[in-house]
Amino acid sequence: MRLSLAFGLFMAATPVLTAPAFAGVDAVLDSHILPGTAAFAEAAQALDASAAADCQPTALQPAWNAAMDAWMGIGHLRLGPQEQATLTIAFWPDSRNSGRRTLARMIESEDPMGLETEDFAQVSAAARGLYALETMLYDPQFNAYDSGSYECSLVQVMVADLAEQATDLNAAWLQKFAPELRNAGAPDNALFLSEAEAEAALFTQLHGGVEFNADQRLGQVMGTPERPAPTRAETWRSGRSLRNLTLSMDALHRMATALAETPIPAVDEAFASVAYFAGAVEDPAFQDVADPMARLRLESLQGRIRAVGDALSLDIGEAMGIAPGFNSLDGD
Amino acid sequence: MTSRRAFLAALMAVAAPKPSWADAGSPRWLACAREADGGFALFGIAGDGADTFRLPLPARGHAGAAHPTRPEAVAFARRPGTFALVLDCATGALIRQLTPPEGMQFNGHGAYTSDGEILYTVEQRATDSRGFLGLWDAAYRRIGQIETGGIGPHEMLRLPGGASGDVFAVANGGIATDPSDRTKLNLPDMAPSLVYVEGDAIAEQVALDPALHFASIRHLAQEDGTLAFAMQWEGPADRIVPLLGLHRRGAAPILASAPGPEQALMQGYAGSVAFSQGEVAITSPRGGRMHRFDAQGGFLGATTRADICGLAPCPGGFLTTDGGGGVLRVTEGHARPLGLRPRAWDNHIVTL
Repeated sequence: MRLSLAFGLFMAATPVLTAPAFAGVDAVLDSHILPGTAAFAEAAQALDASAAADCQPTALQPAWNAAMDAWMGIGHLRLGPQEQATLTIAFWPDSRNSGRRTLARMIESEDPMGLETEDFAQVSAAARGLYALETMLYDPQFNAYDSGSYECSLVQVMVADLAEQATDLNAAWLQKFAPELRNAGAPDNALFLSEAEAEAALFTQLHGGVEFNADQRLGQVMGTPERPAPTRAETWRSGRSLRNLTLSMDALHRMATALAETPIPAVDEAFASVAYFAGAVEDPAFQDVADPMARLRLESLQGRIRAVGDALSLDIGEAMGIAPGFNSLDGD
Repeated sequence: MTSRRAFLAALMAVAAPKPSWADAGSPRWLACAREADGGFALFGIAGDGADTFRLPLPARGHAGAAHPTRPEAVAFARRPGTFALVLDCATGALIRQLTPPEGMQFNGHGAYTSDGEILYTVEQRATDSRGFLGLWDAAYRRIGQIETGGIGPHEMLRLPGGASGDVFAVANGGIATDPSDRTKLNLPDMAPSLVYVEGDAIAEQVALDPALHFASIRHLAQEDGTLAFAMQWEGPADRIVPLLGLHRRGAAPILASAPGPEQALMQGYAGSVAFSQGEVAITSPRGGRMHRFDAQGGFLGATTRADICGLAPCPGGFLTTDGGGGVLRVTEGHARPLGLRPRAWDNHIVTL
């Protein structure tokens, strides 16, 4: 679960007067969000087709990796239909190991909930989606199943559930939420009362995605210097912790470029610096975090990611008159 | 024979009728906000969402209390509060600035008795956060105080009175704070409670299961003998817990939640609560959403809106305000904008 800043409009900056022309929302939708959700839906369907042909881990792993790659392109968008869907598609971090525990219990009892896609949608969010599938495909305690086993059917159901969610998500963006964003300020639009509010909502996702990469994708595994936590690295069993981070940062860079609509050299430079420091990381699963030199590399990378957040606030957020939410920060 | 004094008094009564809320533009609600220039003000809001008056405030306000008949409102500073302003909403005049007694702090909320003769202010003792209600007479002179039976009280609410006088509900949030700021000092041991105050005594006290002791009970609403309380979770962020409770005198509280993933999106935080015609709603500015429930705690639905917090009943549903300046009416979960103001609305709406 993520606790993040919600951004609102910073009144003193009179955003309506100073903000650049309002094409950023269309650009983000057309060049980033909608192609991204379509690609994810396609990848999830390909995974479903692959599982129907062969449920075994080695056969499924390539299509699962492709679906993960596609998710990294849009995983930072936690608004509209994707707010809830994120929990059931990508439940991470799972600090209580709820996903593994639920899957183990289902397998142990051969729970019939795991045999029908419709029933499976009722099980705990932690046992659904991409991260629960990683457990089934890569965790040695789970991935030794045969075709024809309960686990084989379970994986096919998990994949079908994911494909259905991805299709629904893409449709909801296309038919409902993208029009709401484009239609900001219309008299009947209660979600976005002005065009500036739609921009602020997208900026919140952009900035939140960068924070998530620093605080969760790196913060979880780094723990504290005394207690690093290698097994809290994201998808470490499949060895793609760094890949997730890199793909996510690339997607965020594309989103920033589309939203800003004007050249943002300081932001570009900050992203380039992240790519440089990411290149220095030696273990793509961050399993070397207990080694002081490796930790230092992760700390440097985390610092560069935070610098991207600062650059975004300065060059896009402030220029658009966006500041952290008034009430969400207050707490009373 | 009529005395000269009585004659003059009678004349005055005709010439200058007692001021009422009509003199302040007949607002239905009051709310504090931060304005575009960074300053703060108290606003009157009409039934259609329009502004009826604007009174500048010297600092950020939190909630307020409205006099039952006179167009007077008390605007409370946010915690730890060093002042409350009694304002004449018809003329804009400052009637009185209230300062808590030495060593006490206002906690952002208060309420009048139904006859408007006494103002109660929610307070805590600076040294140990012990809760008190301060009592002020009709001329706003301090006349006493009552213990709330808990730490860090937040909202209080006048309930429809019995024969023996007003009953007040008080939310003891349970959180002890540093005397100079909002640093939380006692989270491991916090013990929130809900109390009913009759006269100068606590008539009933309600606490939740010890497993939920991290749930700070902070905001209140009532309808038809049911008290709704909204909570803020101070425990581990990955535990999904109820944020709304419903209580009837003498019974055990009922806790209400949305289904798992939707509940998680509230981010453990409810900032306001209101009842309206059998529905009860809570808002989460952190989650950017409002949740509606029936009076038995059954979940009815979610309505999303960025930085939403202010919440009040209105005909057919709820009025909401948010940090983006929006004023919306939500009817059966369907939101309709009433206006977008150049200001950030603060946490609460006071209903007149």
